[in-house]
Amino acid sequence: MSDFAPPGDPAIPDYGQASDCVINNGAFCTDWFISQWSTVFWPPLLSHIIMVAIAVSIGFVIAFCAGLLAYRKKWLAGPIGMAATFLYTLPPLALFQLLVPFTGLSLLTVEIALVCFTLVIIFQAVLVGLSGVPDDVRRAATGMGLDRNQLLFKVELPLALPSIISGVRIATVLTVSITTIAAFVVDDGLGSPIIKAVSSPFNTQFVGAGALAVLLAFALDGLLVLLGRVLTPWTKARS
Amino acid sequence: MTQHSTGSSITFDRATKTYPGAATPALDALDLEVAAGELVCLVGPSGGGKTTALQLVNRLVDLTSGDIRIGDRSITDQSAIELRRTIGYAIQQSGLFPHYTVADNIATVPAILGWDKKRIRTRTAELLELVGLSPVETWLPRYPAQLSGGQQQRVGIARALAADPPVMLMDEPFGALDPITRVAVQDEFLAIHRAVGKTTLFVTHDIDEAIKMADRIAILKPGGKLAQFGAPAEVLSNPADDFVAEFLGAERGLKRLALTTVGEIVTAGTTSPEGAGADASITTAGWPDVEATMTLREALSVVSAARAEGAIVHAGGSRLGEVSLHDLIAPPAAGEDREGVRA
Repeated sequence: MSDFAPPGDPAIPDYGQASDCVINNGAFCTDWFISQWSTVFWPPLLSHIIMVAIAVSIGFVIAFCAGLLAYRKKWLAGPIGMAATFLYTLPPLALFQLLVPFTGLSLLTVEIALVCFTLVIIFQAVLVGLSGVPDDVRRAATGMGLDRNQLLFKVELPLALPSIISGVRIATVLTVSITTIAAFVVDDGLGSPIIKAVSSPFNTQFVGAGALAVLLAFALDGLLVLLGRVLTPWTKARS
Repeated sequence: MTQHSTGSSITFDRATKTYPGAATPALDALDLEVAAGELVCLVGPSGGGKTTALQLVNRLVDLTSGDIRIGDRSITDQSAIELRRTIGYAIQQSGLFPHYTVADNIATVPAILGWDKKRIRTRTAELLELVGLSPVETWLPRYPAQLSGGQQQRVGIARALAADPPVMLMDEPFGALDPITRVAVQDEFLAIHRAVGKTTLFVTHDIDEAIKMADRIAILKPGGKLAQFGAPAEVLSNPADDFVAEFLGAERGLKRLALTTVGEIVTAGTTSPEGAGADASITTAGWPDVEATMTLREALSVVSAARAEGAIVHAGGSRLGEVSLHDLIAPPAAGEDREGVRA
């Protein structure tokens, strides 16, 4: 012991209290998860939700219009379906790589890629839903004097809703999952804490962020199921 | 009831339809006049063009040549959309909108025509009563999936009648119903038809249904040609050609018996209730009971099953008289031979 180091002064800086779980890098440390919620987990979760919401919304608008178009002009269904399927088959990382030279390491790059993956699912759902409207219902509606728009908005689209909603559900769950890869482009979303924790490695951080992504997928799916129930009361009606 | 309009005639004037790419017409120069308030059945085998003929009227199919008039107005004088809103249309499987309640289904055309809510509500309730779905409050909020086939078809008819159209088109409306429901809905529709007097064009492939429902039957044969047009009794008695005879089937003699009820020949005086005296009761022993509302064909079936020589006719619980086997098979009301009347 030298005089320069008075007793009681630790030679190793004190980084504060850490639980045994954290020190031993346990599989999941609840105390650390709770204490770090507001800095490590909540901001990425929020940005994750926003990225998914933007991607699914834009994807829905594009795919919905494409679906309507393909329904009205049958010959377009093949080409549009093939283009959308092609986009869907691209590996997400490769697509990011492809886009970066044009749109940079930006949210735009991420959203373009995410939207591409939602298209084929929602497009097919819209088309299948509209084509699934029973012929006798369509014939009765036309025979009663509904014009083309009335037929679409009063009959065909409402009856296509169950199919459209299940398409949006699948697209949403898929997008929640793919958005984690967006962390390779932007430091946002739940992919960001996961990538950092995998390289450290620190279990609680990537287990926690991974679990949040799973829970988010379940939660959004559940919300869409509820939305479907509200919008299509007749599907639950039985005598 | 707020049924005001009775009906308009429907006139087919050399109406012809040739589908694109088809060598022969689906409907070939059809001339047919359906009088106002009349119920005409279009029957015939598949390929006879009966559904085509029906869909030409509300322009779901466009005429190749010729004309169709409702009243004295050609169907091409107005837009197809406007025309259809003035024609009641009921189809097989009902074609009800699964996502609309019964109330909304019936209100479809009135809502499009911009009726106010109160008028629509009154009309909807009135129609549900008419088709026998009461109390109406029970049925209004239900979805089609919550109804039986027969109930759906009744709602389908109510919907077709909603805007009080002068003309009704029915495309095999009862085709998908089980036999018992079918008879019930047929009877109800006949009663409604008598009450509201809509000119009705009714497509069916079932000749027995046509005989039961129609004022006149139009029989179409392959190639879309009209083979015969006449009252059921006339068609059954005098088929115009071999095709019609074959289409009506070997049982057409029996089918004709379905046009007359037992009550009609009893009250016609062929048998007298007084005849049931002491000696007559011996001859009528073991005769089965039949209702006056039964057709001769049904009564004959009952008599045959009992291996009897005749039947005792009842109406509303009281004995009306008897009919002998001979009365049943050669009824003076529907037949020619008058000597058959019991001495």
